[in-house]
Amino acid sequence: MKCPYCGYENIEGADTCEECQQSLVELSKPRAVSSVDRTLHRERLSRLENTNPITVTPDKTVGECLKLLVEKSIGVVLVVEGDQLVGIFSERDALMRLNSESAEHFDKPVADFMTPNPETLTPESKLAFALHKMDVGGYRHIPTVDEEGHVHGIVSVRDVLGRITEDLVGAQDS
Amino acid sequence: MDIEFNLTNETVEQTGLKDPLIVAPDVSVCDVFELLKARRAGGLLVCEGERLVGIFTERDALRLMAAQASLDGPISEAMTRDPAKLAASATVADAVKMMSHGGYRTLPIVNSNGRPVGILSVKSLVHYLVQHFPQSVYNLSPQPNPAMEQREGA
Repeated sequence: MKCPYCGYENIEGADTCEECQQSLVELSKPRAVSSVDRTLHRERLSRLENTNPITVTPDKTVGECLKLLVEKSIGVVLVVEGDQLVGIFSERDALMRLNSESAEHFDKPVADFMTPNPETLTPESKLAFALHKMDVGGYRHIPTVDEEGHVHGIVSVRDVLGRITEDLVGAQDS
Repeated sequence: MDIEFNLTNETVEQTGLKDPLIVAPDVSVCDVFELLKARRAGGLLVCEGERLVGIFTERDALRLMAAQASLDGPISEAMTRDPAKLAASATVADAVKMMSHGGYRTLPIVNSNGRPVGILSVKSLVHYLVQHFPQSVYNLSPQPNPAMEQREGA
C-alpha cells in the first residue's frame, strides 16, 4: 500500500503512513467497480418495494390464504395482528407444511402454518442487504417495517433481479 | 472480476447446476408432493424416457391446493406442458433475462440432445450474483443503518 503523499510502502490495511503520518483510510475503502455494485450500495428498498402488500389476520383460514395467493398471483401474504407483523405465509410454506394434506387443514387458521417472526428490513435499507439476506436465508420475499414494527411494504427477489438486470442490460448496450 | 464480462461469457452449466428431480408422467400428484417436500425442492421435471415433457412447480401445487383438487391423478394432467427451457450452452445473462421477463423461477436446462441436465432456480442465480459482488455484499455492517443516536462520549 503506497502512501499517496510520500510514496512510502506501508503494510496492507494501515490507517496512517508510517513515514509521514498522513491518513490512509481512503485507500482501504471499497470502491464500486461496476454499475451493479453502485446500485447495490445506493439503491434503497423504498424505491423497489411494493407498498401495498396483501395482508391477512392470523385467524384467516388456510384455504382463504391459498386462494388469495392464486387469485392475486403473489407468492406470499403477510400475517398482521393489529398493526404488527407476526408472520408470513408463502407458497413455499404451503408446499412444505400442508403438502398433500392441504384439504384437511383447509379451515384451520393460517397462524398454525405461517413462518412466525420473519426477517425484516427497513425501507431505508440498501439493496445489498436484501440480496444478502435472500441468499443466506433462501428467502424470496422480505417485508419492510418501520421503527414501530408497522408493515411498510415487501421486496421480492423478482424486484431485486429486475433492478440488477436493468443495470446489466444497460451496461451491455452502452 | 468483471461481472458484465462473466455474465455474458459464463454458461449456465458453470453456475453449479443441481441434478434435476425427474419423475415419469404416470406418477401420482400426491407422490410428487411428498417428493418435493422430502427433497425440499421447489419444482421437478416430468420426463418420458429422456424427453422433457413438462414441469411441475410450487405454483402448480398451490393452484391444486387452493382449488382443493384431487391429488390422485397422474402428474401429466397437472404439470405445465412444454415448459420454457434453456440450453446448457446459454449464458448466465440469458438466464437472468429469461427469468426476469418470463417471470420464471425454475428453468430446466437441456443439453444439445434435448436431455435435461439440470434445474436452474432463482435461488442459485441470486447466490451466483452475490458471489460476484463479494465486496459489496459480504462487507456489510451487521445493521443496515449504523448511525449513532448520540455523539460518542456524550
